[in-house]
Amino acid sequence: MPTRRPAAALALAAGLVVIAGGTAGLLLTRHPDPGMRPVAAGVAALPAPTGPIVAPPQSAAPKPVAAPVSLTIPLIGVQTQLITLGLTSTGELQVPSTTSVAGWYTGSPRPGAIGSSIIVGHIDSVTGPGVFFRLTELTAGDKIYVKRADGTLAEFRVTSVQTYLKDRFPTENVYGPVPDPELRLITCGGAFDTATRHYLSNIVVYATEVR
Amino acid sequence: MLLAASALLLGIPAAATAYASSATTGTGWIRLAHLSPNTPAVDVYLYSFGNSNAMIVLHHVAYGTVSPYESVQAGDYSVAMRGAGAPATSQPVLSTSVTISAGHAYTVAGMGPESGLRLQVLDDELTTPPGQARVRVIQASLKEQVVKVSLGSTVLASDLKFASVTPYQTASPGTETVTVSSSGGTATSSVTLAAGTVHTLVVLDGASGLEVVNLEDASGAGKPPLGGVSTGFGGTAPHGPGSPVPWLAAIGAGLLLALTGGLRLRRNRQLPARV
Repeated sequence: MPTRRPAAALALAAGLVVIAGGTAGLLLTRHPDPGMRPVAAGVAALPAPTGPIVAPPQSAAPKPVAAPVSLTIPLIGVQTQLITLGLTSTGELQVPSTTSVAGWYTGSPRPGAIGSSIIVGHIDSVTGPGVFFRLTELTAGDKIYVKRADGTLAEFRVTSVQTYLKDRFPTENVYGPVPDPELRLITCGGAFDTATRHYLSNIVVYATEVR
Repeated sequence: MLLAASALLLGIPAAATAYASSATTGTGWIRLAHLSPNTPAVDVYLYSFGNSNAMIVLHHVAYGTVSPYESVQAGDYSVAMRGAGAPATSQPVLSTSVTISAGHAYTVAGMGPESGLRLQVLDDELTTPPGQARVRVIQASLKEQVVKVSLGSTVLASDLKFASVTPYQTASPGTETVTVSSSGGTATSSVTLAAGTVHTLVVLDGASGLEVVNLEDASGAGKPPLGGVSTGFGGTAPHGPGSPVPWLAAIGAGLLLALTGGLRLRRNRQLPARV
């Protein structure tokens, strides 16, 4: 009779409970957490900034343009000041020390001057979205605005959005000379390597100045 | 069995998509120039080949004018020049065809004297050696038919004839004096060539004497950063399902416990009933 062996009955019951719990745990954790997904794209989250838009320099007498101070991407709600970035001692591009601002690489042309101007921002921190979290939502034709120290505004139009594995980063495409005023916004993306704590890819948004 | 099951259960996330395609979006660049000293101002038209509606019209382009680059889809185009103000439907004074390749830049310039005016297509360079600049010279002075052009102490061209173009040459970055000397005299100009930039120096007839115009053909990062950029800490990355081992262990332990308990109960029942 079961009542004669209370320990055995208890063991059976406990075993069944543990099996049920283990199975439930196993099944519940088999669906990967999709992570934080951007909210649906649609209407611009921010109004376009205002300011005098200065015609890009005519190549005959290139006028120096002022340094960039802020970046606005209305469609994805980006509005950030721009800090300045250089190279690390090993020759890599510095990144902003906080994930909430973007930075302009001072070794690249100023936004609106002839050439490929480089702006970098984080996709996320260890806990949540960074300033360029929604960068991949941009598509050809979307507008990007850079305000400069003299109050003038440079307006850019996205031409393409590319994802590159970091070990196959196309340096010449991204940083090489171009003959018109262009912008490159760079952040991380693709798969996240939990061992190295790094994303495996970079997202590059290519844009050209609207004249 | 366990291994197979766990591989199945792990549901290894599919690798993220990587676009190996070139950054170029199938576009190239073209700019238009008037470099014929005794030719009056012109209207310059750019047509996509076979299309009679001009894509771009530059009005009243005078000698010495070089337009900014226009980004256009790779393909065949034609460039036509008409006298300034002439109807768009009138017969052009001059026209030429140009094939624009993706990722390449071209200058289409009216060159030579008015009597021998021609449209010349120049391939413009878009690369520099790391940390260096590139420079070439267009000789567009009719007053001085042959010139010598130096950048600092480096001779870029010693006997450069009117309406000719030198190849690009590598130059150290910095600010240098450009000296153009000819039988008629010497003109100097200060130019800054930054690392990672490509320039064209144009020798023009000035109001008096020669002028040098420094065109920036292209510009990039003087010191291109190495490799990609580390701009993420994973806080929003999709998390993997984690290891199934603890759960499988729990199930195993539960099975063991239940079996032991169950067997003991069963053995108990099989014993002869005690009186």
